[in-house]
Amino acid sequence: MAPPAAPGPVSVGIANLPNQRHKIVSRKGASYNIMVVGESGLGKTTFINTLFSALMRDYKRPEQRFAKQLDRTVQIDVVRADIEEKGFNVRLSVIDTPGFGDYANNTDCWVPIVQFLDEQHQHILNHETVPNRKTDDLRVHACLYFIQPTGHTLKPLDIEVMKHLCTRVNLIPVIAKADTITPADMLAFKDRIRDCISTHNIQVFTPAVHSEDEDATRRNTSILAAMPFSVIASENDVQVNGQTVRGRQYLWGVAEVENEAHCDFKKLRNLLIRTHMHDLITTTHDHHYETHRVAKLTASGRSDDDPALQARRGFEAKMKEEEAELRKKFTEQVRLEENRFRQWEQKLISERDRLNEDLDKQHSLVKQLEEELEEIIAARKR
Amino acid sequence: MASSGASFKSGGARRKATKKGLVFTVMIVGASGCGKSTFINTLCENPVILRKDHADAEKAAQLKTIGLAPTTVELDEDGLKLSLTVVDTPGFGDNINNEPAFEDILGYIEHQYEEILAQESRIKRNPRFQDNRVHVLLYFIQPSGHSLREMDIEFMRLLGARVNVIPVIGKADSMTPQELNAFKKRIMEDISHYKIPIYDFPYDEEEDDEETIEENNELRSLLPFSVIGSEDEVVISGRRVRCRQYPWGVVEVDNSKHCDFSKLRYMLLSSHLHDLKDITHDVFDDDDEQD
Repeated sequence: MAPPAAPGPVSVGIANLPNQRHKIVSRKGASYNIMVVGESGLGKTTFINTLFSALMRDYKRPEQRFAKQLDRTVQIDVVRADIEEKGFNVRLSVIDTPGFGDYANNTDCWVPIVQFLDEQHQHILNHETVPNRKTDDLRVHACLYFIQPTGHTLKPLDIEVMKHLCTRVNLIPVIAKADTITPADMLAFKDRIRDCISTHNIQVFTPAVHSEDEDATRRNTSILAAMPFSVIASENDVQVNGQTVRGRQYLWGVAEVENEAHCDFKKLRNLLIRTHMHDLITTTHDHHYETHRVAKLTASGRSDDDPALQARRGFEAKMKEEEAELRKKFTEQVRLEENRFRQWEQKLISERDRLNEDLDKQHSLVKQLEEELEEIIAARKR
Repeated sequence: MASSGASFKSGGARRKATKKGLVFTVMIVGASGCGKSTFINTLCENPVILRKDHADAEKAAQLKTIGLAPTTVELDEDGLKLSLTVVDTPGFGDNINNEPAFEDILGYIEHQYEEILAQESRIKRNPRFQDNRVHVLLYFIQPSGHSLREMDIEFMRLLGARVNVIPVIGKADSMTPQELNAFKKRIMEDISHYKIPIYDFPYDEEEDDEETIEENNELRSLLPFSVIGSEDEVVISGRRVRCRQYPWGVVEVDNSKHCDFSKLRYMLLSSHLHDLKDITHDVFDDDDEQD
């Protein structure tokens, strides 16, 4: 038989899978949840409004400040919006945390935030075993922590809160109101913050650096080098050299939002939306949600080498043994019976043979007698 | 330049003051990173307060106690020698729970009053005793752009009853002119709403002359003072200017259009120095004595 011909390069169309995914994702749209955490007055609301070029949140009304809440808690405010760009829909939710760090005594002010994050993970976990799994997914995909531009280093409150947040959500530290710090001071400040973050083992979101595309690798390295991002936010347009740009107009100049030499807003926006949005969404599900799930399930007593499961396995083994034994016994019995039948058969056969023999003998005797009779008759006739 | 203090000083007292030099104590309070140390260095035109050791990341998370360390600098204001004592309060407002800090600072101020009282009650007074009573307290407000925070309100209210409090907006170069004006207005509204006692340039309609009244009104309208501090000097068009350099422009410390630093300095060290001292001695100290 001739050997089969080696298969040549045949395109069956599996390379078309990314296109199919693209179509599915474009049709389904995405759900994106961003949380902003930081003391009031750091420009969080302005930043969110600038990020999506849309008025997402109203500013706090100053006239209402005298009717402030007296119970000194941190609230969780969720604002939803549906954003569409070139036919692609995003269901955006922005979660603000007013009251954080605003009081003289800020002990445990991070507890409501942590509770909120855990609740979202738990909500999805509970819905895993429910018949109708479609539910609102409010898991936070990116948490922007706004650092005050002191120029010194992180405050104890910052460190404590970031430690609690980094294990539950993708944490991105951001230096707010970056137009307060001169460039040289900013570099030193960023260094000190990075130092602080690594000393206290805070896991901030770090985008993967290496990718096949050289451009992407270069971009990712520059993003990584610029963390924590310094941010200037403004919704006002000002004129600079005849051009209209987003910026803040001072007596001594204009600080531009989208100018890379002034702040890292563009880098952060690219990270949040253009390049790493999918990454943020998937790490939230694959890493943070899984961490929560494992923690919750082991806490409730279930594990991979569960004693109940082990007992079950042992029982199953015993079952198998017993089954094998039964089978053996059965086959034994069958064999014995078969033997008995065979022997009986043999006996019958031998009996039959004996009887046949007897019959033959009788036959031959009869024949003999007949022959003798013939002879006698023949002899008489003569 | 008419100052409300000059009218008080007669010839003999002035000569004595010139020889001995004026003594003035300023306390600076505010959250870390508001520009307090830089302000002090800019005010004294000398690096009086050295840079804190921020490089230690481990220490960043630790509970900070308020370090109240007075530093004395000799200044020369228009021929008048001034011995300025500055009390910086590093660590205030840095912790997660800042309420204990209030007591520390209040304790320090009261302690000074007690010392003076003890000193004056002695039969044999110590001639070299240094009067450390705090004449004015500059409270640095963070440039959030919104309004006063709970800590600011509580603290100023507590201490305004014992010492002259002047609210100051630190790092004022983070706000545009419109934002700054709106912020100042809201702070003053907060101060009157919560009835916070501050030094608001009081004048006597009957006694003081028109110039003084006008000056005080002008200063009152500038409250709270916006300050920018810088220890770096740059040469711009031939003159040495203290400024902060950004990629988009240069902010000048002494330019009154950019910030109120120069007016504040003049007010503190020249025009209203005596008024502040008098109020400290007469009003606050008296309260103490009556207790």
